[in-house]
Amino acid sequence: MVVEALVDQLLNGLTIGVVYVLLAAGLSIVFGVMDVINFAHGELYALGAYFAFSVTTAAGDPNAFWVALLLAPAAVAVVGVGVERLTIRPLYGRNPLYHILLTFGLVLILKDVVEFVWGPGNKSYPVTPGVLQGQVAVAGFDFPRYSLFVIAVGSLMAAGTWYALNDTRVGLVVRAGAQDREMVRHLGIEVDRYYTLVFAFGAALAGLAGVVLAGRNGLEVAMGDSVIIPAFVIVVLGGLGSFRGAVVGGLVVGVVQTLTRSGVVAEVFAPVPVVGELAALLPALEGLVVFGLMIAVLLFRPRGLFGNPEWQSSEGEGDLLVGGGGALGSVWRRRLALGAVALLIVAPFGVGLAYDGFVVYSLLVSILVWALFAVSLDLVMGYAGLVSLGHVLFYGVGAYGTVLAADGRVTDLVAAVPAVGSPLAAGLGALGYADSLPLALLTGVAAAAAVAWVVGYLSIRVAGVYFAMITLGFAELFRQVVVKLPASWAGSTDGLYGAELSYSVAGVSLGEVGDVVLVEGVAAGPVVLAREVRLLYFVVLAGVLGGYLLARRVIEAPFGGVLTAIRESEARAQFLGYNVVAHKRRVFVLSGALAALAGGLQAVTGLVVGVGPSLLHWINSGEVIVMAVLGGMGTLYGPILGAAVFRGGQELLSTYTGQWRALLGLVFVLFVVFLPRGIVSLPGELQRRLRERGGDPPTGAPAETPAEPKLEGDD
Amino acid sequence: MPEDRTADSTTRSATDRRTLLKSVGAAGVAGLSGLAGCAGGGGGGTVRYGVLTPDTGTYSSLAEGQRQGARMAIRDVNESDEYDFEIERFDGDTEAGDEVAQSEAERLIRQNDIDYMIGAISSSVALSLNEVADSQEIVYNPGGAAIPITGGACNEYVFRCETNTAMIAEACAEWTIENLGSDVFFHIANYAYGESVLREWRSRMEASDAEFNEVDQTGAEFGAENFDPFISQIANSDADVAVIGATGGDLVRFLSQAASQNLQDEVDIMTTTGSFLSVRRGIGEAGYGVYSGTRYVPSVDTGDNQDFVGRYRNQYDSEPDNFARVAYDSVRMTANGIREAGTADPEEVKDTLAGLSQSPTLFGDNAFRSCDHQATNPVWVGRNVEPEGDTAAADVELVDRVAGSDAIPSCSDVDCDLG
Amino acid sequence: MSADDASGTGAGTDRESDAVLATEALTKRFGELTAVDGVDLRVERGEFRSVIGPNGAGKTTLFDLITGAQRPTSGSVRFDGEDVTALAPHERVRRGLGRSFQITTVFSGLTVRENVRLAAQSVHDASISRVDRFLRPKGSFEAIAADTTATLKRVELADRTEERAGALAYGDRRRLEIGLVLATDPAVVLLDEPTAGMSAEETAATMQLIDEVLADRTLVLIEHDVDLVLEVSDRITVLDRGRVLTTGSPEAVADDGDVQRAYLGGDRG
Repeated sequence: MVVEALVDQLLNGLTIGVVYVLLAAGLSIVFGVMDVINFAHGELYALGAYFAFSVTTAAGDPNAFWVALLLAPAAVAVVGVGVERLTIRPLYGRNPLYHILLTFGLVLILKDVVEFVWGPGNKSYPVTPGVLQGQVAVAGFDFPRYSLFVIAVGSLMAAGTWYALNDTRVGLVVRAGAQDREMVRHLGIEVDRYYTLVFAFGAALAGLAGVVLAGRNGLEVAMGDSVIIPAFVIVVLGGLGSFRGAVVGGLVVGVVQTLTRSGVVAEVFAPVPVVGELAALLPALEGLVVFGLMIAVLLFRPRGLFGNPEWQSSEGEGDLLVGGGGALGSVWRRRLALGAVALLIVAPFGVGLAYDGFVVYSLLVSILVWALFAVSLDLVMGYAGLVSLGHVLFYGVGAYGTVLAADGRVTDLVAAVPAVGSPLAAGLGALGYADSLPLALLTGVAAAAAVAWVVGYLSIRVAGVYFAMITLGFAELFRQVVVKLPASWAGSTDGLYGAELSYSVAGVSLGEVGDVVLVEGVAAGPVVLAREVRLLYFVVLAGVLGGYLLARRVIEAPFGGVLTAIRESEARAQFLGYNVVAHKRRVFVLSGALAALAGGLQAVTGLVVGVGPSLLHWINSGEVIVMAVLGGMGTLYGPILGAAVFRGGQELLSTYTGQWRALLGLVFVLFVVFLPRGIVSLPGELQRRLRERGGDPPTGAPAETPAEPKLEGDD
Repeated sequence: MPEDRTADSTTRSATDRRTLLKSVGAAGVAGLSGLAGCAGGGGGGTVRYGVLTPDTGTYSSLAEGQRQGARMAIRDVNESDEYDFEIERFDGDTEAGDEVAQSEAERLIRQNDIDYMIGAISSSVALSLNEVADSQEIVYNPGGAAIPITGGACNEYVFRCETNTAMIAEACAEWTIENLGSDVFFHIANYAYGESVLREWRSRMEASDAEFNEVDQTGAEFGAENFDPFISQIANSDADVAVIGATGGDLVRFLSQAASQNLQDEVDIMTTTGSFLSVRRGIGEAGYGVYSGTRYVPSVDTGDNQDFVGRYRNQYDSEPDNFARVAYDSVRMTANGIREAGTADPEEVKDTLAGLSQSPTLFGDNAFRSCDHQATNPVWVGRNVEPEGDTAAADVELVDRVAGSDAIPSCSDVDCDLG
Repeated sequence: MSADDASGTGAGTDRESDAVLATEALTKRFGELTAVDGVDLRVERGEFRSVIGPNGAGKTTLFDLITGAQRPTSGSVRFDGEDVTALAPHERVRRGLGRSFQITTVFSGLTVRENVRLAAQSVHDASISRVDRFLRPKGSFEAIAADTTATLKRVELADRTEERAGALAYGDRRRLEIGLVLATDPAVVLLDEPTAGMSAEETAATMQLIDEVLADRTLVLIEHDVDLVLEVSDRITVLDRGRVLTTGSPEAVADDGDVQRAYLGGDRG
């Protein structure tokens, strides 16, 4: 009985594992050869399934599935060629971050295209060939035919890929290119052509995975989202760029996931004391296991199981391009900034006159909150060169910490601590803790700072792309924990809504959040001066401005000087006597705290105090990176601009079209390709273009000495 | 004439807040005098109704029915002589995100001055709008089935037409052990919805006089891709019936994979949302034979449902689903409340609406009962069968029907006391 | 500031204590390849030592081991009497072990002044209070500013302080690099091919600069160009295939048959 169950589960694990292998192999090869981190890989997978859906639906014959099995991946490969030629090619040699950004934009575009063409909703192939249905008996066990089919297709493709990589000329070039691109180029081989081929091949593998998995799972527009994160985990686990790693990682994750999910491990170990009890806990951990596995592997083998330690050393990565506003002098910049702050201060006085409350109390507040979030990211990304793909973790801890404090759950938790618990809780009660906005925000910030310290301590030892992935892993882990814990802990999928907060500390209160109106309906004769001015807006404005000024102050202090040095050259900073790792850890904590303040403010603004699990989605981490780069990272004010343009653009586009995401995605793609230093570099770029057109000497000419201090890198 | 008023740092009562918030929103410069007496409005005027549907994102496929049902109800009310007021509709897209939903609600409240709103499908969005309704004094018809909406998180402004998870369990748990077998295997999606299904079904099976034996219980993470381990485990167990507490993509993937392992040869499958049109479309023939606690199918012959289905078909060229049903009745029942109250002031309408017996509705006689404002909907046990026509989705054959008064848990068992 | 006073004390004492930098059986293996093989190096205070050898002899790896950029497979590094083998690179720098790079690595996005200021800040880092470190404007520390200005003058970049380091001409960038090392006030400076890729004139100018500004320090120079080091060094260590071939005065090394064979016969460059 147990044996039968175990065999069943192993087969199940292999089935899903093989699909993971197909997905991860494409991702990994593309990264290994071209350094491209392809976030749109999941969308290519979805495209494969949808193409197959069209073929099988149009034909109406069960055997059309076989045709789809060939045609759909081929069609996805064609899409891959287009994507590579048009968007990825201009970016070769840049830091992999830019590929993350670019392909993030592609995700938005492709998802909207799929929804537009095929419509929303779950779908499934109308019919699959009879030979794939039902079970077949092998060696006394009943196996689902479809599972065997998936395993066969996957193994065949994996073996074929292995052969192609190891025993063909193309494979030789590809492998050599992954080791040393320049060397291959020196041999007179046109590497770029191989790049297109490799990308198309990776896309076809993803498409094939989509075709076969959709036969089991059906189709939905979001299907790409649900596989891209596991696929990345596998690639990182196995070692970026390693085909062997993708195969082993895919199978390991498939089997481990399946075994932890099922009770069979518990059953096997049940007779053993202790171990049996531990095994019984496994099913509760599923979902966490995969991320835990990745984090553990990266901590002990920072380049994954089969990662090449020699390759992808830090000098191989292109620079992160920081923004700079060459065209505007610092005096003008200061004037503009003061003007903007002045406008922000008077904005609420115009509510009901020139615009309505939504513009100020929802849109502007949202822009401010995201701006602070983006500034916090810029501290680590633009200054310390740490691309955090999991910054939503701190945003989320801040939001949840704030709401849990407001909800009284933090007090309950404290009270539950033996011995010291009740007096502590009484002390908190005396402070008016559960009711106090400042204390609630402080709770979120403190919690996030602590989390950031731990995550930073564990993660900063891994470099570059691996750092991005390990932070993504931690963020997903947190989301899983929140969703999986019983609703009485952190609301699970129901979220936490309806807590009350006041502007109060220790019983001194200005009133309830949302209720305090500073000015209302002031009129002088027929002229209305102000209709509704709410305190909460100024709290947000003060929080965001304060956060920004603090960040700027720190950057301009000795500590920040060292950070800038680390961004410019880590090795040099180290050999000036600076402890690079310690500096990164400290700035990570500061960044986490500021992100948490943004999260806390997000939770208390809006019509009610509260937070839900969608706040923790990784897409928010992606969006905040987009904002920072859109505005111009490494400038602190650029990300603020980026947040304003992003949220404003979203607001504007969504009133005109339901496909606004695709448009927004297109804008990112254009920015990443043509203006990677962000909006803040636009004046300088324009000036340069104009000068070139005017026939003036090229800007690179040494004769030209800048009239004012320039800190940006524009060569 | 405008009064010169200033109130520095003063705390204001909730009623004042709403007046202020809304008058400032839409009235703009023109409505200078609007600050004082704008609540009221009422009979003979215009009722401003917000329709908040998840048009993009995870639930986009379900949003269509909700949106169309609400629109059709609003049009019917406006064209009917029975109502001496007009409903003006304002749309918002909540996407699948709680923050977006909040922001959209704020837009409709501040810009369009709505007094009523309907919508949301995911439970966290619905629960957040619950709070908005309470703090802004807006009558709200949620679309989620989560128990707390008219349970622990209920408030006097929330009126739910949707059949909730506890009602499905109340109606179908005992039926399941009596008719499908006493050995039950539970499999749920590990999040609030799945957990509530498990809790409700298990407690009712335990309380039943019929024989009940829980074989085992498993859970998959929300959004899981691979259900094979659970399916094998169920197939290898001694269970007669598997109760699946999952919905949406989770359920579709589970049922697709169960079909490829021929799970139905081993056990009967009982679901809570398997009769949803979106689910039936999603799984195709893999769903034949699956049982479900059914909230609605177009074929039910209650109230004026057949008239509704016919007109809906003409209008939108598709069958109404459960979300269309809920949205239609939500708006109509609320409109009846406005008519009875003789005013559009939500403050008064909410009191009138509670316990108001309504007829006809799509389910015949119905009411938002006083204690929790939950509509007293009947529940069916349905089974998905091969369709007669050439459509992708299975038909639902109704096996049994439980009257609303029997399906709804008694007020004393509900974690809400609105009187 | 000066290391001169230390050089005189060697007279009556044990030679051991006079070696400011010493390695013992220092070894680094990469799989099959042994890049540095049991190297014993003793550099005395005030000495100008050159390490030469053909390409692939292990010169840069040896530097990496001494500065801490890489961990040795076995053996140890002693600096100023202390075993520093387990210390991180920045900790060795703080103790007075400076380094310049073969490929010029200045902070090219920053101004010349900021480059040097960062180096000067490092010397004063321990005395900056916690609050000042995070919140006080970095330009407001007088001692750092004074050191910065002094260094800029010594490397003759005082008139280009506001230029971006990346925009400097090659020779100037090299001067800046040396300025960075100088500003950290090291007792021992490890110079990794400071004249690589330079014209004859530039090379002469750079060597002169080194002679001028770093004369009072202990210097260890890696060089490929044998003729260059013969002129400037006190002593020369010849490295071949990771081993020390010989150590001696320039004259002795120039006459050494093994050295000639290593260069003439065994060039695997």
